[in-house]
Amino acid sequence: MGDMFSNLGLGLQVAMTLKNIGLCFAGCLIGTLVGVLPGVGPVATIAILLPVTLTLDPTGALIMLAGIYYGAQYGGSTTAILVNIPGEATAVVTAIDGHEMAKNGQAGLALGLAAIGSFIAGTIATLLIAALGVPMTKLGLLFGPAEYFSLMIMGLVLAVVLARGSLLKAIAMIALGILLSAIGTDIETGRERLTFDLEMLYDGLEFAVLAMGLFGFAEILKNLQNPEARDVVRSKIGRLLPRLSEIRENLPAILRGTGLGSVLGILPGNGAILAPFASYALEKRIAKQPAKFGHGAPAGVAGPESANNAGAQTSFIPLLTLGLPPNAVMALMVGAMLIQGVIPGPQVIDRNPELFWGLIASMWIGNLMLLVINLPLIGLWVKLLRVPYRLLFPAIVLFCCIGIYSIGNTADMVYLTAVFGLVGYVLHKLDFEPAPLALGFVLGRLLEEKLRQALIISDGDPMVFLRSPLSLSLLLIGAAALAISALPALRARRDEVFAEE
Amino acid sequence: MLNRRSALALGAASLLAAPAPLKAQSRYPNKPITLIVSYAAGGGTDAVARIFAARLEKILDGRVLVENRPGAAANLGTEAVAAAAPDGYTLLIGNQGPMVVNPHLFKRLKADPATTLDPIALIADASLAVVVGPRLPVATLPELVAAAKAKTLVYGSASNASASHLAALLLGQVAGFEARHVPYRGAGPALNDLVGGHIDFMVTTIPSVTGLIEGKKVSALAVTGTSRFAGLPEVPTAIEAGLKEYTASAWYGLLGPRGLPAPIRAQLSQATRETLRDPTVVDRLKDDGATPADLEGQAFAEFMAKERARWGEIVRAANISLE
Repeated sequence: MGDMFSNLGLGLQVAMTLKNIGLCFAGCLIGTLVGVLPGVGPVATIAILLPVTLTLDPTGALIMLAGIYYGAQYGGSTTAILVNIPGEATAVVTAIDGHEMAKNGQAGLALGLAAIGSFIAGTIATLLIAALGVPMTKLGLLFGPAEYFSLMIMGLVLAVVLARGSLLKAIAMIALGILLSAIGTDIETGRERLTFDLEMLYDGLEFAVLAMGLFGFAEILKNLQNPEARDVVRSKIGRLLPRLSEIRENLPAILRGTGLGSVLGILPGNGAILAPFASYALEKRIAKQPAKFGHGAPAGVAGPESANNAGAQTSFIPLLTLGLPPNAVMALMVGAMLIQGVIPGPQVIDRNPELFWGLIASMWIGNLMLLVINLPLIGLWVKLLRVPYRLLFPAIVLFCCIGIYSIGNTADMVYLTAVFGLVGYVLHKLDFEPAPLALGFVLGRLLEEKLRQALIISDGDPMVFLRSPLSLSLLLIGAAALAISALPALRARRDEVFAEE
Repeated sequence: MLNRRSALALGAASLLAAPAPLKAQSRYPNKPITLIVSYAAGGGTDAVARIFAARLEKILDGRVLVENRPGAAANLGTEAVAAAAPDGYTLLIGNQGPMVVNPHLFKRLKADPATTLDPIALIADASLAVVVGPRLPVATLPELVAAAKAKTLVYGSASNASASHLAALLLGQVAGFEARHVPYRGAGPALNDLVGGHIDFMVTTIPSVTGLIEGKKVSALAVTGTSRFAGLPEVPTAIEAGLKEYTASAWYGLLGPRGLPAPIRAQLSQATRETLRDPTVVDRLKDDGATPADLEGQAFAEFMAKERARWGEIVRAANISLE
């Protein structure tokens, strides 16, 4: 423990230099902006800024790039809450209850809870990385393909709770999401599946395309349809900051979200993206009034937002302790380290302690800065809603298009997003929720990949999922959750959970 | 789509060129050169391109902009360059995947690199490393081969038909064993499972694994080039370790659209040669696991043809080609 504090002391010394504070601030500010703008994501932004970082020293460069990444997680919730369009893919869950809260005149409360929850989660996750980074690495390594597959199955079972309306429709949406995730080149045989000879589909659908179409474009279409009852919060804005009692009420949700996010963030293959979904499912399961979820439950914002930010922080663990990137942003960080002549791997902690601890300390400083940037901004964001629709909506569409275009430098992706916008509109008309579809899509790709990998390794023996104790326990938890919702004694409660609106 | 894109590019090019004075037009380059990378920023090919471009623009005395055009198993980048005007202002960093392996994988390739591109020069060669994790505690390449003959091993790869997959297939063919292939999405997740003891071995690019070798999380049994790699001096080549016929490397070359004017081609080869003599470029390439190459024009084209035939055999033998 003493070691940890002396190490953090070294880190603070590095991170507190004027230059590094400036870079951290720049990163957080850019990140917040990128997060707020729908469609413009941290991957594209970091890729664009990568050559610029060549002029900086390695520590400064990484501090700034890291700031962009977790800053985007903060900003992503803003658009989700205010206009029901997730600024980032990870804010899909936040939109469910966050926007409902905004419609109830609690936009300020939702934004405040998101920011404070993220700050608490970020602080705890940073301490976790500092204290347990190395042992937690082992946890990530325990998850081989079989264990990972069982985790996804458990996630899938818990996921049906995401549904606001009919259970059957939610399952249909999850299935559709899984089907969409199968588009692209088959991972094992290299054959094209469902690509219709369109080259833009060879590598599969981009999650951002799906999300911006189903949530972004569709939301705007929805609003165009009934001009008088537009879905944006206008007059009722309410208090800007949450009361202390409201923070205290949501603290358990924030802490649970932090725990879930911290663990999922370490997993390879972008486990962090599951964190908000998992937290939402958990909060709805254990809530005293699950029926409130989907209609503006503060815990449905505080939990997932905390999970999201904790996951963003702990996804640095495999990068820092093994040099293995768990997601696309971290892969770019590996690129940034290599460009700087730092070889990512287990020896970074000994060979570049100022980089390792400086980066960790900067994360906490960054989280504090984000809180300071975001709380006063709430007032400004909320005022943004007074911007007339004829100006606001074209601006949103424009940013969506720029963001989507920047993914592959091609307009084809933008057309595809427009198609999903129409799909989203039709789904809305038929009363289908897009959130379970998004989760199905995220889980689907990993489910298939891990199932096939596990079966190749075991030479086709399905018992592999039961032989590993970790995999077996995950499957049992999933089965238990399924059994609980099927038990007649609990039916009343389940009906409440899945109550039709 | 491509036609329109290239028409737009042509339109933009003529707009840019029109107001320039005649004297400036006779000089190459008189406007920025776009160097297309078929992968997203941050990867190995992108790193090589940026190192190369930074020096090349000083030598050519004109801007060289690296543009990432990922997608369709790196075929989109090939197509974009194949469809561009052969004026020396759109160039490609081509690596062995899209240049010589994809023609064996895709039934309908919109732009075959052998017929639509002009090879200018080979830039660098990157050998791979054969690595094992805790699941297979062997110390040498012959021990790995013996273990693989005793029981079927599993190996991971960065993706189906990637350099890492094909090099491992070739290893099995040369050494006389068959192993089960587990495809991943990228070297990172595959290495995660190697370190976690879920798979036995991997043949992977050197920068992806240098840190893990130094941190003793995996051990390197051999490098696949014809000579040892300077960053890992204690690791023998596969040839030294007893596999006389086993070499494999990922390579990067500079190409342009078919029909480049001879003077521009000559100027670009000359500039490439100078770039690769720069000691800082050599050092930076070394960090990325690569060594500068010296093949130009026709010799590079012949090298590509040989590589295409060689990997084609392996692809067919392993039955991963599409019908």
